[in-house]
Amino acid sequence: LTTILSELIALSAAGLLVATFGVVVRRSFIGWVSAYRYQSIVLAASTAVVGYSTGFWDIYAAAVLTFVVKAEVIPRLLVRVTSGVEGGLKMEANPYVSIRLSVLISALLVALSYGLVGQVLASASLDALAQAYLPVSVSLFFIGLFAMVSRRTALNQVVGLLIIENGLFLFTTALTHGVSLIIEVGILADALVGVAISAILLTRMSQTFDTMDMGSLEKLKDD
Amino acid sequence: LMVMPGLQMESVLGTLPSASGTLMLTVLLTPAAAAAFVALTRRKRLAEAATLLSAFLVVLQVAGLVAGVIAGTRLSAFGDFLSLDALGALVMIPIAGVGFVAALYSINYMGRQYERGVIDRRHIIRYYAGFNVFVLTMMVVPLANNTGLMWVAIEATTLVSVLLIMLYTTEGAIEAAWKYLIVATVGLSLALFGIVLFSYAYSNASPSTADSAMNWTGMAADARMLDPAIVKVAYVFVIVGLGTKAGIAPMHTWLPDAHGEAPSPVSALLSGVLLNCAIYGVLRFNIIASGTLGPSFPSEMLIGLGLLSMGIAAASVYFAKDMKRMLAYSSVEHMGIISLAVGFGGFVGLFAALFHIVNHAIAKPLMFFASGTVSQRYETKTMSEIRGIIKVMPVTGALFLVGGFAIVGMPPFNIFVSEFLALSSGFAGGQFIAASMMILLLVLVFAGFIRKLIPMIFGNPRSNSAQPSYPEGKDDMGRLAILPMAILAVLVVVLGFYMPQPLQTLIHDAVQVVQGAP
Repeated sequence: LTTILSELIALSAAGLLVATFGVVVRRSFIGWVSAYRYQSIVLAASTAVVGYSTGFWDIYAAAVLTFVVKAEVIPRLLVRVTSGVEGGLKMEANPYVSIRLSVLISALLVALSYGLVGQVLASASLDALAQAYLPVSVSLFFIGLFAMVSRRTALNQVVGLLIIENGLFLFTTALTHGVSLIIEVGILADALVGVAISAILLTRMSQTFDTMDMGSLEKLKDD
Repeated sequence: LMVMPGLQMESVLGTLPSASGTLMLTVLLTPAAAAAFVALTRRKRLAEAATLLSAFLVVLQVAGLVAGVIAGTRLSAFGDFLSLDALGALVMIPIAGVGFVAALYSINYMGRQYERGVIDRRHIIRYYAGFNVFVLTMMVVPLANNTGLMWVAIEATTLVSVLLIMLYTTEGAIEAAWKYLIVATVGLSLALFGIVLFSYAYSNASPSTADSAMNWTGMAADARMLDPAIVKVAYVFVIVGLGTKAGIAPMHTWLPDAHGEAPSPVSALLSGVLLNCAIYGVLRFNIIASGTLGPSFPSEMLIGLGLLSMGIAAASVYFAKDMKRMLAYSSVEHMGIISLAVGFGGFVGLFAALFHIVNHAIAKPLMFFASGTVSQRYETKTMSEIRGIIKVMPVTGALFLVGGFAIVGMPPFNIFVSEFLALSSGFAGGQFIAASMMILLLVLVFAGFIRKLIPMIFGNPRSNSAQPSYPEGKDDMGRLAILPMAILAVLVVVLGFYMPQPLQTLIHDAVQVVQGAP
C-alpha cells in the first residue's frame, strides 16, 4: 500500500508540473483558462492524496472545495465575464518573452525551485509528502510570477496570479498537512472574491481603454 | 518630556470573562450589520446615518475593549482564536477613531461629489457598503490571534479597498486599482509563504493540535525553540510580503497611485489606518524572529528598509505635482520612520515607533480631509494651480497648515515628539550613521514639503490662475467638512504637549509585548 501511495504522490506532483507547462505554451486566454482548470483538478487530487496519507478528514473537505471553486466556478466566471471582451484582446499576440524562450525559462525555474527547497529546508526533516510537493509548489509560484511579467494582456496577469495562488495552497497543505479548514476556506474565498473583482476591473478596463495591453497603463506618474 | 509610569501591572493571561468575548464579536458585527442595512435600503440619507451610527458604536465598543486591556489583561475568546493585547489595542484605536471621523467627513465630501454629478446614487450606496466592510476587515487584523486568519483579513482589506478605489470610473482610478490589486496580492502571497513556514517551525518545535499551530501567542512563547534556519527565511518572506502592503520601499510602487486616486475619505483610511495594520503584522513576526534569531538580523533589515523608504519618499515629495500623491509619498516616509524606530529598538525606540503609529494615524487623515476639501473647491489636485487657500477658505487653510507642519515633524506638534524619541533611541543605541542619515532625510522631506505647502496656503489667489473656474469669495465648504478636521487638529496639537495617562500605559504595555515580556 505504501508503494502505491508514494507512486500516487510522485504522479500527482508530476501532473501538476505538466499542467503548469500547459499554461506556459498557450497563447489564447481560453487556452490558459483550460490549462489552469486541469492544474486545479490535479491540485484537488493531490490534496486528496495528502488527506489519505495523513487521515485528516478536513483535508478531504479542502480537496472538494478546491475542485468546486478552482476547477469549476473560477474558470466559468472568467470565461463568462470575458465573453463580452473582443477576441483580439484576449490573444497574446506579442508577449514580452517568446513562447519558446518561456518554456526554457520555466524549466530553469523548476530546477531552481528544487535547488532552493533542498538548500533552505535542509535542516528540516521533511516527510515524503513535503519532499514531493514543496519543490512543485515553489515552481508554481515562480512560473506564475514569470507568466505575469512576461505577458502583456491584463487577463493573463489574472491567470498568473491564480497559478501563484495554487502554489501557495499546495505549499500550505504539503507543509502543515491542512492547518485548519477555516483558514483554507478563507484563502479560497479570498481567491474567489479576487477573481470576481479583477473580472469587474477587466470589464471596466476594456470599456475605458479599448485595450488590455498593460503597456498602455502608464498614466499615473510624477514627471 | 514625558514621565513613564512606574507600572507594576501584571498581565494576567488565560481565560477571561465572556463579556470581552462578546464585545469582540459585536464590534465586528456592528459594521457588518451596517453594510447589510446600507445595501438593503438604497437610500442616501439612511446609508450615511447607518454608517455614522455604526462608526460611533464601534468607537464605544473599542473603548470598552481597550479599557479591559489597560486594566492589565490580554483579552481572549473562542479558544484563543481571537485575542487582544496592548499592541493590538494600540492598532485598534486608530481604526475606530479614524473610521468615525472618516464616516463624518464622507457625508459632506461624498455628498458634494454626488451633487456635482461625479457619482450617482448607486455609487453612494456602494461606497457606504464598502466603507463598512473595509472597517470590519481592518478590525479583524488586530483581533486575530490565529496568524492564518490575520492573513485572510489583510488580504480581504486589499479586495475591499480595490472596490473603493475604483468607485470613480476614471482611467486613473482603474489603473491604480489594477496595480494595487496585482502588486498587493503577489506581495501577500509571499507573506503567506512566510507565515506557513513560521507555523511549520513552531509545530516542529512543539507538536500540538492543528488549530493552535498557527496561533501567534504560542509561536511567540516558544520563539527560542524554533529552527533558526527556517525562521530566517520565513521572516524575510513576511517582511517583503507585509512590507509591500505597508508601503515600505522598494515595494511601495502601488501606494501613490492607490492613495492618490481613491476618494479622499478612503485615502485617509488607507494611509492612516490600513498601513498600520500591515506594519502591525510585521511587528508581530518581528517579535518571534527576534526571539529565535536574536535582535540583530531583524533590526538590520528594518533599519535598511526604513532608510530606503525615507530616501525614496524625500526624492518623490520633491518631484510630486499632485497634492494627494505628495501626501502618499509622505506616508512611505512615515512607514520608514516607524520601521527605523523598531530597528533602533530598546524601550525608547519601540515607544517612539508605537507612538508614531498613533500620531501618523491622526495627522495624515487630517491632511487627506483638507486636501479633499481644497480639491473640491479648486476643482484640481495639481499643486501649482492651487494658491491662497487661507484667503479662499480660511478655516480649512489654517487646519491644512497645522496638519502640514505636524506631518513634517515641526515642534510643538505630536509627530515631532515621536520622531525626536526615535532619533534619540538611535543615537543612544550607537546607530550613529543610520540616525544621522535619518536627520538628513527628515530635513530633505521637510524642505520639499514646505516648499510646496506654503505657496498653496499663502500664495496670491489670482497670480497663478489660468483656470476659468477659479474660486470666488470666502467659503469653507460647510461645517461637516470642518468638524472632522478640527477634531484631528486638536489631537495633533494636544498630543504634542500632553500624553493622557491611559495612552501612556497602553504604549508602555505594548512595548513590553514587543520586547517579548509575558
